Amino acid sequence: MKPIVEIQNLKKYYAINAGLLAKHVGDVKAVDGVSFQIMAGETLGLVGESGCGKSTLGRTILRLEEPTAGKVLYDGENIVKWNKGQLKGMRRGMQMIFQDPQSSLDPRMTAGDSIGEALLVHGMSDDKARRESIGELLKSVGLEPEHAERYPHEFSGGQKQRIGIARALAVNPRLIVADEPVSALDVSVQAQILNLLMDLQRDRGLAFLFIAHDLSVIYHVSNRTAVMYLGKIVEIGDKTEIIRHPLHPYTEALLSAVPCADPRKRQKPILLKGEVPSPAAPPPGCRFHTRCPRATPMCKEQEPALIPESPHRSVACHLIK
Amino acid sequence: MTKPGFFKRAVAGMGGLRNVLALAMFLVICATIPLDILYWNRAIKPLDYSYLFFAVFMLFYGVYPLYVNRRLTRYYWDRIKRHRLAVPGMIFILFLIAVAIIGPFFTGDAVQTNFKEQNFPPLGFTYQQGIYDVKSDNFTTVVSPGVPQHPLGTDDKGRDMLAMLISGARVSLQVGFLATLIAVMIGSFLGVSSAYFGGWVDSVLMRFTDIMMTFPFFLLLILIIFLYGPSLMFIILVIGATGWTGTARLVRSDALSLRTRDFIIASRSLGASDSRIIFRHMMPNVLSQIIVIATLSIPGNMLAESGLSFIGLGDPNVISWGAILNAGFRGINTTWWVAVEPGVILFLTVLAFNFLGDGLRDAFDPRSQS
Repeated sequence: MKPIVEIQNLKKYYAINAGLLAKHVGDVKAVDGVSFQIMAGETLGLVGESGCGKSTLGRTILRLEEPTAGKVLYDGENIVKWNKGQLKGMRRGMQMIFQDPQSSLDPRMTAGDSIGEALLVHGMSDDKARRESIGELLKSVGLEPEHAERYPHEFSGGQKQRIGIARALAVNPRLIVADEPVSALDVSVQAQILNLLMDLQRDRGLAFLFIAHDLSVIYHVSNRTAVMYLGKIVEIGDKTEIIRHPLHPYTEALLSAVPCADPRKRQKPILLKGEVPSPAAPPPGCRFHTRCPRATPMCKEQEPALIPESPHRSVACHLIK
Repeated sequence: MTKPGFFKRAVAGMGGLRNVLALAMFLVICATIPLDILYWNRAIKPLDYSYLFFAVFMLFYGVYPLYVNRRLTRYYWDRIKRHRLAVPGMIFILFLIAVAIIGPFFTGDAVQTNFKEQNFPPLGFTYQQGIYDVKSDNFTTVVSPGVPQHPLGTDDKGRDMLAMLISGARVSLQVGFLATLIAVMIGSFLGVSSAYFGGWVDSVLMRFTDIMMTFPFFLLLILIIFLYGPSLMFIILVIGATGWTGTARLVRSDALSLRTRDFIIASRSLGASDSRIIFRHMMPNVLSQIIVIATLSIPGNMLAESGLSFIGLGDPNVISWGAILNAGFRGINTTWWVAVEPGVILFLTVLAFNFLGDGLRDAFDPRSQS
């Protein structure tokens, strides 16, 4: 099976300019050499703490940020150098859902206009046909066609998120980058939205790049999981394998921090020392060595590569042999 | 799916029926221009035409949205009402607009001089003037009271003050609205583009704005008017073309925070064009800010025109408040009303616009909830 999207050694650096002449003094390495594939109909969960480059990675894949280096292969074609006209076709295939439903809808546009914009941009100029499509899209995300006339401030957070999903679905995409789609919602609403996304995936054969910082959410929705730390992927593979038997020390630490509802179960969270290093000056060698409880001298010098550990999983750690 | 007809596609391409209707009205007005010249044998008056354009523009893009969105209108009205001086300000402005439009039909000719009725004071005042009588070689003192035919008195050429003030109101409002419209359109377009495109576009546009800002505006105005002659239309154009800098700055700062909002990114990820994002998403979201800036800069532009007229650089063919002030200023010790009346009205108008602007700002800005 061919992947919908394959990224190869993708990098996104933000230049730091300082001084009178805006001299280039360094880079914030938000995404620093990431490679993976997303197959049709699967969900890749991308997890990591704030500031590790998850959202930037998602936006770079959609060319909403210009990648510094690397390739994004959409249906086997590198879209990194594509111009606007060429990208327009790609945009029908890949869409995005945002974290904050408050700011992802234009406050001056009705829900119907927001959804309809997607159709209008892609050439559905007939008013009647468009109105019908908007109604169907609203129904497919659990809202009523009448809601099209309302403005964003008249909806609840969960409803707004549903409108955002309908807008993404309007162009019939094959991949949706969901950037923390539930982290701004109430817990009860989170489950509804997650189930909606999974239903849509089943009905339409959608693939998701599901970005989150909540491991339980990732466990619920994803088929495969990637763990990101400071712009790099440290572990990627089958969800169950990674969550049951984490290999990378960082994944272990992340998992041990998930609260457990059973009070009889004794938990020993692995407490990481120190802060996440700045992505402007990432440590040499393994990026995690400054906080790793099991770091060896080798970790400080040599950067570990992402090596397949089993058929379903790769890990970037010197300790895994 | 049936292919939609050409008309429908054209309407959709222009962004709805409203734009089409507005454009049609504009074209109709344009079509009357040759009629005006050839058939009615009148010289075209660019000012009147631009004022007509402005009225049509406001009808379609100002009044119509307020009417469609009645709920929102009521909400804003409730908030404006909380600002105690905004409502009187608005009433005064509406009154002034009404007077400027229909007033000239009721008062006499403002330009008509009548030397038999020189220097009549306003109603309720009296004025003593010494008149030299050639026959008896004597000064006789004549006490002239205010007369009901000239409730606000007359000036030293016997022109009716009320008629002149009403004619001046029309000039001031034309200057205020048109110059502000030009300035705000230039400013908001440059501001939004600058914020949206960022990078070198932003640098170039903002440095240009800085350069425009450092020019002493009034001096520039005087120079240009002195060089190219004082016609009111030209004065309006110059005020508009130089007065956009503040708007550009303020709109840019608002648009900058808008640019990184998710709904703009969502539009980009849908493949929407830059112009679509600028005009459909950025502009409507900075519109309230633009309206406030516009309302607050109207009095400044009126004052600029009055200032020009006051120093004698105004259009000599129109009677503006500044010109009356200039004429009356010389007789301020004796025929005080000629200078005081336009001064007071100018003062009140500026205040009214400022109060209304403050009220609008409070109504539109959710952050200033008290």
